[in-house]
Amino acid sequence: MNLQHLTIDKVQEILLAEKYVCDRALATVVYLSLSMGKPLLLEGEAGVGKTEIAKVLAKVLDAKLIRLQCYEGLDASTSLYEWNYPKQMLRIKLEEVEHGDKEKLETEIFTEEYLIKRPLLEAIQTDGANPPVLLIDEIDRADMEFEAFLLEVLSDFQITIPELGTIAAKHRPYVFLTSNRTREIHDALKRRCLYHWIEYPTFEKEYEIITTKFPAVENKMAQQICAFMQKVREMNFYKRPGVAETLDWASALIALNRKNLDDQTVIETMGCVFKYREDLHHLRDQVEGRQLNIDQLLRASPELVS
Amino acid sequence: MEITPESVAAAVTSVASARGKGTLPNLMAFGRALKQLGVKVSLSQIIDSSKAIDLVDIAERTDFRALLRANLISQKEDFPAFDMLFDCFWREQGYERMPMETMEIQGTPSDSQAQEGGDEEGGLEEAASESLPKENVPLENLDEFSVPTYSPQELMNRKDFSEMSVEESRAIARAILLIATKIATQISRRKKVARKGAAIDPRWTMRRSMKYGGEVIDLVRRKKRIKKTKVVLLCDVSGSMDCYSRFLIQFMYGLQNELWGVETFVFSTSLSRITHLIRTKDIVNALEKISGSILGWSGGTNIGRSLHTFNRSFAPSMLTHRTVVVIISDGWDRGDVSVLEREMQDLKRRAKKIIWLNPLLASENYEPLCKGMQAALPYLDMFLSVHNVNSLVSLGRTLQKMVA
Repeated sequence: MNLQHLTIDKVQEILLAEKYVCDRALATVVYLSLSMGKPLLLEGEAGVGKTEIAKVLAKVLDAKLIRLQCYEGLDASTSLYEWNYPKQMLRIKLEEVEHGDKEKLETEIFTEEYLIKRPLLEAIQTDGANPPVLLIDEIDRADMEFEAFLLEVLSDFQITIPELGTIAAKHRPYVFLTSNRTREIHDALKRRCLYHWIEYPTFEKEYEIITTKFPAVENKMAQQICAFMQKVREMNFYKRPGVAETLDWASALIALNRKNLDDQTVIETMGCVFKYREDLHHLRDQVEGRQLNIDQLLRASPELVS
Repeated sequence: MEITPESVAAAVTSVASARGKGTLPNLMAFGRALKQLGVKVSLSQIIDSSKAIDLVDIAERTDFRALLRANLISQKEDFPAFDMLFDCFWREQGYERMPMETMEIQGTPSDSQAQEGGDEEGGLEEAASESLPKENVPLENLDEFSVPTYSPQELMNRKDFSEMSVEESRAIARAILLIATKIATQISRRKKVARKGAAIDPRWTMRRSMKYGGEVIDLVRRKKRIKKTKVVLLCDVSGSMDCYSRFLIQFMYGLQNELWGVETFVFSTSLSRITHLIRTKDIVNALEKISGSILGWSGGTNIGRSLHTFNRSFAPSMLTHRTVVVIISDGWDRGDVSVLEREMQDLKRRAKKIIWLNPLLASENYEPLCKGMQAALPYLDMFLSVHNVNSLVSLGRTLQKMVA
């Protein structure tokens, strides 16, 4: 994929070819991120496709996807590199038995062979035709200390290992960060990134997503699903469903060979959309109490495409 | 700062003189206008946007907007301010007529303006620090405080917050600092190497043994480290809490400024987030800002609805399994009790702990009889009184036991 001739339209087009529907604003931001070599920080509710876009991009750019899943307690030794101590130990023991050359041993056990590469080092060291896509997922789960460390790596794209020397990136990786906002990311890190907030999709966009992913789905059914999702996102549920849930549900309905949504179908398959017992109860009450009228869904939705 | 069409227009007018030919001066002016509206923008972000302009056809207005937004804004909350300013700023300029040539980035205008901006901020900080010392609490006095010994202190300890003078509030501040550290400490899953830890750290043991040729001599142990909790503070500022307002402000301040990761909200009939308003250390100014910008200060109370807003708009992103929610309210609720109950239930499930501090609990003939308080009671991990300094100290002890 040649980035020289990239345009915003082109970005939208290639993403669509991989069945990722994105609006103009997101395409612009992705385009800028790729062209400027600036990391992109994506925020949004769970399940709106933050992680997915990095995966799809890696695919269309024919680049290696390196994913760093953040969690509490993530530190340099699990994200960057670590010496393989057990292997070094074994080697030393072996040399002891064989009375090997001590000095040679010393240099040998601090070579790449004894280095465990973690995602960040891997991203920097990747050679190949294309720069890799580095996905730093759910950065808000990692600690503040890790953020500071990441800041350093993202500004220079080089890593110093005392025993080996400095390793600089051959290609600058395309970096994508995602956050679910369980805490605020530090300003210094944010300033180094482009920022985009992914909203829940509109009715039209969600319709496009469903029909793109499942060409086999009936038109009316797809519209019903979208109208339903739009409606429940306005209602008071503990966990509002994202696009991921929409797609799960759509594929479940297709597998069950349903052509039309009715109360019964909705209640039977709701496990795809709501994952909390309270939410399921709440939904059932709403449906049975007619506050959420499945038959009326399409008629109530004014922006319906006919 | 509140975002209104007027304030946006004022921001645009005030930077008008800084605008000139070329993209960069205009971008700089735009950045300054954003700053006036309370959005943080750095010079590097502005320079990056000017680079990005070369990459996009900015005659396409939506693309231009997306470009600037991605570069200059880094949190969703600032989108409305940005959008309003964008419309106002680039319309007045005559968007179509905007000169398309980009200037040299190393040029002097950026440097001199950055200098100016820096100076302004420095001035502000100085002003803030001047008014600071009065409220500032020295850390080393902490231990001293928890042992009340002589009578003036005693006297103050029993005095209700409702009749407390400014000087006395320093003692409160100290007590709050103590509480803040208690609320905020919690054991983490993440471990650190420690001499007396319970578990053995194999990796470090291996590593350490290398200096003895691989014979394991030292056992490296590790233990769980103390971890910071997040705190969400919900303060009732309705009329019935009026006499405690000085204390409330102090409490919000104390927590916010001593701890990392505190989010502060006030509510009466509706809920407002004031974290950003009280981030400064200048308490007097902030007090004005807060009471000026919050609807329903000293008004009626609708706890249920306020909690609903919180659960709906803020809880998903703010609450984690580590978050402690502290509610300060007298529990007089004029809203629908069933709503309150449902929202408390929801909140309970999201947060690690809910602590309710009630200033009325201290008065001898008070029982939590009002309906709102009764509905909330089953969902509380702790229901405590805060009415004088003594109660604050005992609150500190209780919290310590809780996290130990």
